[in-house]
Amino acid sequence: MTEERDSQLSAMFDGELPAGECELLARRLAKDEAQRAQWSRYSVIGAALRAERGVALHDRVAWRVQNALAQEPVYGEGGSADSAAPARSPVASPAGRSAQSSERWMRFARPFAGASIAAGVAAVSILWLRNQEAPAPLMANSTAPVAASEITQGAGTLVAVDTSAARTPISNGEPDRYVTPQPSNQTSIAPPARLANYVVAHSEYSGPLSRRLALLGLVATDPTDAGGLPENADTDATIDMEANDAR
Amino acid sequence: MTVEESDLVLVKRVQRGDKTAFDLLVRKYQHKVVKLVLRYVRNPAEAEDIAQEAFIKAYRALPQFRGDSAFYTWMYRIAINTAKNQLASRDRSPIAYDLDLNDPEESHSVQSKLQDPDTPEGMALTEEIRGIVNSAIEGLPEELKTAIVLRELDGLSYEEIAAAMECPVGTVRSRIFRAREAIDKRLREVFEGGLGRTEEMV
Repeated sequence: MTEERDSQLSAMFDGELPAGECELLARRLAKDEAQRAQWSRYSVIGAALRAERGVALHDRVAWRVQNALAQEPVYGEGGSADSAAPARSPVASPAGRSAQSSERWMRFARPFAGASIAAGVAAVSILWLRNQEAPAPLMANSTAPVAASEITQGAGTLVAVDTSAARTPISNGEPDRYVTPQPSNQTSIAPPARLANYVVAHSEYSGPLSRRLALLGLVATDPTDAGGLPENADTDATIDMEANDAR
Repeated sequence: MTVEESDLVLVKRVQRGDKTAFDLLVRKYQHKVVKLVLRYVRNPAEAEDIAQEAFIKAYRALPQFRGDSAFYTWMYRIAINTAKNQLASRDRSPIAYDLDLNDPEESHSVQSKLQDPDTPEGMALTEEIRGIVNSAIEGLPEELKTAIVLRELDGLSYEEIAAAMECPVGTVRSRIFRAREAIDKRLREVFEGGLGRTEEMV
C-alpha cells in the first residue's frame, strides 16, 4: 500500500499520474509532511543527477519561502487543513470572486458616493436658502393656505391676507394685492422715504450750497426724529416742485 | 497527464487555499530556479535570495495565473525579471562597505563573503548529497539506472522512455520509482529524517 502510494508520488513528480489520482494525492500531501519531505528528496536527486553547479542540494530556498509566506494570506476557501486564515485575494471560489469584485466596486464607487452626498447637502442648502429669501409681498400670493391672520417677520408686521384669495391660484402671476409693512418703531439708519424724496427733489432745483446744507441737515438729523418732521415738509416739497413745473 | 497538468492541479489547490501545494511547487523547482538565476548573478547566496523573492512574487501573483502557460514557464519568467531587476538596482546603488581595506583581516572577511558566500557546511552538505546520489546510481541495476537517467537527465516522458526501452509505460513508472526509492533510502540513512529542513543543519 505504501509502495503504491510512493509510486504515485514519483509519477506525480514526473507529471505522469492521472488527473484524478493527482488531485487525491495532492490532498493527502497537504496533511503528510513525511511525503512532502520525500517529494523534496526526489527534487534533490534530480538536481544531483544533473550536477547543477553552484546549486546547493538542500531545500533552504523552500524553507525560507515557506517562512516568508507564513504571513501571507491563504487564497480561496479552506483548501487544506492548515488554511484557517481568511482569504485576502480569493480567486478560485465563487464566494471569493464575489467578495473581490464587491471590494473592487466599493473602491470605484467611494468617490462618487462622497460627491453624491456633497451634492445632496448642497441641494438641500439651496432650497432652504431660497425659502428664506422668498420676497415678502409674494407671501400674500402663496397658494399655500394661510392659517394666521398676522405674520410677524423681522421689523415689520405683515398684515394677514385674505385666505380665500390666497387659496385661489392666480393665472397671470401678478399678485392682486400687496401688503405694505407697518411703520416700525425700531431705529433705522436709512432716512425716512419722505425726507429722502424731499432732498432729491430739492437738490434738483437748488444751488450747490443750499443742497449741501440740506444734506447736512439730513445727515445730522437723528433718525428717531425723522418721524417728527413737520407734516408739511412733504407738502412743501410738492408745492415747490409744482411751482418749478409751472415755471 | 503532463508535468504542466500536474503542476496545474497544485496551482489550483493553492488558489483554493492550500498553501502546502505551493510549498510542493517550490520544493520541486527551487533548484532549477536557482540554477537559472545563476546565469545572471554569480553569487550562489544572492541567487538563492533572488529565487526566494521570485517564489514569493509568484505566490502573490498566483490568483492571476490562469494556466495559459505552464507553471514553470511562468515561474521562470518571474525569476528572470527578478534577477534583472536586482542587477539594475545593484547598478544604480553599488554596495558601499565602510571598512578599512588596509586591515587584512577585515578585507579577507568581505572578500570571502563576496566570492564564497555559501557556508562551508552548506557546501560540504551539497557535495555529500551529490556523492551519495552518484554512488547510489552506480549501484542500481542497469534498467533502473537507464530509466532514471533518461527521465532526469534527458527529460523524456514515460511514453518516450517506454519506446526507447521497449517496455510498457507501467514498467517505466515502476523502474523510475524503484530507482528513486533506492537513492532515497541511501539519503535517508545519511540524513536522519530526510533532507527536510536543512537550514538547522547548516
